[in-house]
Amino acid sequence: MNDVIWLVKYTLKRTFRRKINFLLYFGTPLAAILLSLFAYEGSPAKDVRIGVVNEDHGRVADDAIRFLNNIDHLSVKSVKLSAVDDQITSQKVDGVLIFPQGFSESVQHGQPRLIQLVSLKGAEITMFIKSYLHEYIDHLATLGRLANGDRDLFWKMYERYQQAPFRLSVHSLSDKAKQKGVTYQTIGYLVMIMLMSAGNLTEIIIKEKEERTYSRLLTTPIQARTYVLSNIVVNLLMMAAQIIVTIVAMKNIFHIDPHIPMWQMALVLLLFSLSAIGLSLITVMFANSSASAGALQPLVTVPTCMLAGCFWPVELMPEFLQKAAYFIPQRWALDCLVKLQEGRSFGSLYWHLLILLAFALTFFLLAVYKFSRSQQSGQFI
Amino acid sequence: MNMLEIKQVTKKFGDFIAVDHMSLTVAEGEIFGFLGANGAGKSTTIHMIAGLLRPNAGEIKILGKDIAKHRQFAKRHIGIVPQEIAIYEHLTAYENVEFFAGLYGLRGAELRQRVEEALEFVGLSDKRKSYPKHFSGGMKRRLNIACALAHRPKLIIMDEPTVGIDPQSRNDILASVKKLNEMGCTIIYTSHYMEEVEEICTRIAIIDHGKIIAEGTKEQLEAMITDTKDIWLEIRGMDRLNKEKLQSIHGVKAVQCDDNMVKISSDISVNNLNEIVQCLIHDGVEIRSLEDKSPNLETVFLALTGRNLRD
Repeated sequence: MNDVIWLVKYTLKRTFRRKINFLLYFGTPLAAILLSLFAYEGSPAKDVRIGVVNEDHGRVADDAIRFLNNIDHLSVKSVKLSAVDDQITSQKVDGVLIFPQGFSESVQHGQPRLIQLVSLKGAEITMFIKSYLHEYIDHLATLGRLANGDRDLFWKMYERYQQAPFRLSVHSLSDKAKQKGVTYQTIGYLVMIMLMSAGNLTEIIIKEKEERTYSRLLTTPIQARTYVLSNIVVNLLMMAAQIIVTIVAMKNIFHIDPHIPMWQMALVLLLFSLSAIGLSLITVMFANSSASAGALQPLVTVPTCMLAGCFWPVELMPEFLQKAAYFIPQRWALDCLVKLQEGRSFGSLYWHLLILLAFALTFFLLAVYKFSRSQQSGQFI
Repeated sequence: MNMLEIKQVTKKFGDFIAVDHMSLTVAEGEIFGFLGANGAGKSTTIHMIAGLLRPNAGEIKILGKDIAKHRQFAKRHIGIVPQEIAIYEHLTAYENVEFFAGLYGLRGAELRQRVEEALEFVGLSDKRKSYPKHFSGGMKRRLNIACALAHRPKLIIMDEPTVGIDPQSRNDILASVKKLNEMGCTIIYTSHYMEEVEEICTRIAIIDHGKIIAEGTKEQLEAMITDTKDIWLEIRGMDRLNKEKLQSIHGVKAVQCDDNMVKISSDISVNNLNEIVQCLIHDGVEIRSLEDKSPNLETVFLALTGRNLRD
């Protein structure tokens, strides 16, 4: 064990003697968080500008316009019918609502006339307006139908509805979907970064072989398996550090709530890191030079990360690709985290955890097999 | 006690036999020269002694213990100076030696002392905090040696330790090899430079096609290819030269004169150069130049293997 600690100490010393490696191993996870935030934040919410043509001038239409005025992030201005096209094409407004003549009367009879909505910006604008206005008008139309042509009864009910004798308490809720999305995206990037880091760190074995220090090491009492074990320990330490840096930065610097207990997220990622190390060991065992290993690592990492949904939701891909993704450990790690976000208990996801372990075990066994074959043929690795 | 015993060792790579039933013994305190052209089996033998390769057959013993059964024991008593410089560019000279010494279990004050000693020995004490990337080729070679010394091995294997360095660094390294030997280390030394082997080795083995084809002291090896050495003298006072007197010196077989040149053929095993010179001076002959044309290791190697060492 002392030998492993000695080897680990000096491998870390050599690695971080090059200051750029701090940036490589710990700067990239932070960059991943920033990138995710940027991707989900987008540009700040802008007010939607709506022009209104009131051909009706009845009370219901006037009240509907007041209702629109009270909606957050919506600015309303009066527009003449003749100026509609100009207002829209010159982008002075995002859309124009035209309340037709007789609109108030039609609502009173429970059969509201159609409000025309003109916009060049499509569903982005129209859906927002429709969702508010449809519900409001529908309620008034229901009053009209209940009044069944009785004007006094309608206006009585209308007054009560407008005065709203019930108390409405308004609470702003945080956008969980966004926070979850940022977490998913960050973890997706982190998974790829972990795979890349594992590749880089395992490549040290090949580089040492090329620089002959590996042969020299084997002339000392150190055994080849002790050396490889030390590399695995270095890998695990580095990835644990990356996970901690990412989680701490997410929570304390960027104030992102992943909606998963931190220890559960760390444990799932740590389990995944075993697979990452196993996979990189296989790549290194099959590569015969650092150049070929360097070329092979991205070829394995990037497509599998794309397939697993590290860069975009896996649901966006065709069904056969979604199924194929389950042959990749990244998918199981991400799926496990998504399910934890959805509120599943950690214990109920034992199947995911076992599969992640099975992936790691399979990769390690393959690497050990190749390693022992190389040892027998005198290639050392 | 023998430091190293190799008995009937064979190593094959597929159908290729790199080492073929080799037997060899190196006694404690020797500087043993190991000569062989590229591909002769020299490196494979060294790798087997160092524990990097396992022989297909035969036995290798270090201090009487079979390395197959006592691998750790053997490794602790061997220090390897590899042909390629095997040090870490991102560790200082001190850290390089410390790292390799630590792999032998050294820690704490003892480790620090040994590291300082090793750096002192190779003359890099004042460079202990410097990185090898700033070193000259000779300094890197010396650091390469220091990394093999700190654990105080009894057997040091030096594989071409002077390749690609300046004459001054080479002399320093040869001097340090002799000093290590004086301190009690047994040394196995391989080199392409015959003059180095001639200068420092007490015994030499020549390997060819995986087999030891000759082994012994330099003189013994030279005697294997001829029993006569020629001494060429350029003199003044040929009329005073007494051929009969010269021929009566022990070992002298023939004396031939031509103008002012004299060629004296003598038994290679007899060291009679002083007597020849004294005889000439006594007779009033002035010696203007003298050349001993005894066969050297180069000619021995060529005669025995049919090729030059650098082939």
